[in-house]
Amino acid sequence: MKAIVSVREAVKNYTLGNVVVPALRGVTLDVVEGDFLAIAGPSGSGKTTLLNLIGCVDTPTSGSVEVAGKDTRRLSERELTDLRLHTIGFIFQSFNLVSVLTVSQNIELPLLLQRKLTGPERAQRVSALLERVGLREYGTHRPSELSGGQRQRVAIARALVTRPQLVLADEPTANLDSVTGAHILDLMRELNRTEKTTFIFSTHDQSVMAHANAVVRLADGKLVDRVTPAQAAAENGLPA
Amino acid sequence: MSKLFVDLTIAFRNLVQHRRRSLFLGAAIAAVTALLVLLNGLSTGVRETMIDTATTLSTGHVNVGGFYKVTAGQAAPVVTDYKKVLAVVQKTVPEMAFAVHRGRGWAKLVSDTGSMQAGITGIDIRSEPKFSSVLQLESGKLDDLAQPGTILLFDNQAEKLGVKVGDALTVSAPTTRGTNNTIDVRIVAIAHSLGLLSTWNCFIPIESLRALYQINQESTGVIQIMLDRKDFDHIPAIAARLRQALDQAGYRIMEPDPRAFWMKFQSVSREDWTGQKLDITNWEDEISFMTWTLKALEGMSVVLIVILVAIIIIGIMNTMWIAIRERTREIGTLRAIGMHRREVLWMFLLESLMLGLLATIVGVLAGAAIAAGLNAAHVPVPTGLQFFLMSPHLHMSVHGSLMVRSVVFITVITGLAAFYPSLKAARLRPVVAMSHFG
Repeated sequence: MKAIVSVREAVKNYTLGNVVVPALRGVTLDVVEGDFLAIAGPSGSGKTTLLNLIGCVDTPTSGSVEVAGKDTRRLSERELTDLRLHTIGFIFQSFNLVSVLTVSQNIELPLLLQRKLTGPERAQRVSALLERVGLREYGTHRPSELSGGQRQRVAIARALVTRPQLVLADEPTANLDSVTGAHILDLMRELNRTEKTTFIFSTHDQSVMAHANAVVRLADGKLVDRVTPAQAAAENGLPA
Repeated sequence: MSKLFVDLTIAFRNLVQHRRRSLFLGAAIAAVTALLVLLNGLSTGVRETMIDTATTLSTGHVNVGGFYKVTAGQAAPVVTDYKKVLAVVQKTVPEMAFAVHRGRGWAKLVSDTGSMQAGITGIDIRSEPKFSSVLQLESGKLDDLAQPGTILLFDNQAEKLGVKVGDALTVSAPTTRGTNNTIDVRIVAIAHSLGLLSTWNCFIPIESLRALYQINQESTGVIQIMLDRKDFDHIPAIAARLRQALDQAGYRIMEPDPRAFWMKFQSVSREDWTGQKLDITNWEDEISFMTWTLKALEGMSVVLIVILVAIIIIGIMNTMWIAIRERTREIGTLRAIGMHRREVLWMFLLESLMLGLLATIVGVLAGAAIAAGLNAAHVPVPTGLQFFLMSPHLHMSVHGSLMVRSVVFITVITGLAAFYPSLKAARLRPVVAMSHFG
């Protein structure tokens, strides 16, 4: 299958005063279309940095990151923004919804930024997604009126509304209880199967990894290995 | 739902969400706008009062005056054969509301108990439609000024001369030929003082002025052209047009000199020519010796406005920095999901512009209401100020155009003040903004 993400020897260093702090130390990774991949590792292992590079919100210090066939180092700021807008959806750990907009408006926002669809077309797509994430009756609510699980469903709907090829989720269940988290992952998995959308999500939770096709493990900014969820669970002495 | 609607929604709801901060800043903007309206209303009111008073007492909006010199060393403020000049004026200035001709002079007024020097203006009261609307009579009747051998004084002059309506005065002045002449006049009306212009001016019928200066019926002092308010902006163009038309009609025209006619006596007397020369002036030229009051008022207003605008700019910028700091993660999220920099810039600018627009509208309405209240209350002006303001009451003039200008001005200032913080917000790197805590 065709790779939608191709990371080659990616290095990312952060500078804090005179100190250079390496976050990624030469990571190489391919993600194929339709994958449902977990990036696992302890805090500080480089999960979020890798997602930021793949999500085009940051660029590598050296090495390369290709997304949908485009080398992010060669793109201007405007082109990177367009790539994020048209190709990538984001789901954040803290949901990151616009607090002053309603649920429907939050979901519709990326479509408005794209300026491709007419008003009725946008309304139809928002309505279908609300139905899909089980929030049909919450369209006019503000995010502050929703539970954590409901907010993350809104965030998923917002990430999917542009029908992106790739959805990146940074610890999407970290702020949710285990039952709600499992529901969210089931929803993501279902959308992955039905919409053929590629999902890459970071986690250090073994039960979350269990939903993935494969688990990429990072430690100290390096890619350790790529294993199945069962192997990852077995190594941690947990049932698969 | 359009993008603009969402932008407006975000802006409005953010203002509401931080209502205490918005109200505080909005109130400051509204107060500054109201002050701007009041200051401009005051200077416009003074300017209009000045124009109304000056164009009734001593000048037209545009004047065709001039000097007649029998010998090179003597100059009289006379326009000879004025009806022919008037015909050129009527043909050249179709926008003219009306025109009057007046005699000009400087004479000594002598009563039984005192004397004083004064400018005297010869008028035909029957052809002066605005005169009665500007003058407030203390005693006597204005219509009686139609009779020859009469005079209208102002109360300060009457007090100085120790006279009242019905008393006689002797008026003495040198004629155009250099000999002294006197006439006796009866006081028919005494008007309330109108400030600086009424301290040295009095009115007699033009026939009496001609008799005093021994000039013929075909001569006058000046043709005063009155315009409607809508044409005030065209005064320089009308003056230029008149200058050209009179020149083509064969008249000799004096070089433009923005001073009152009486300030030109010395320089004209020194010039080596005889006969008639016409002088085209406007109302500002004729009262140039007193427009400094207006300029001083406008200058003070500008200084105050600059200070107030500086306060607004600091307030807006400070508020924007706080808002941007609070919403840094939101900016990062919006940039991550595909919002371009220019759209972030617009989002924050729109918020400031919306606050600015709403606050300035409130401020303008408040300013206009306060001005209307002060006008209705007929707030008395101290005597010293009456001298310069030419009115016994505070008069503010707030026009629709001033209100619109004030709204646009302060709203634009608000937008400009917000531009730099908004630009900084737009230039935040998404990865930095998303990881911001605070």
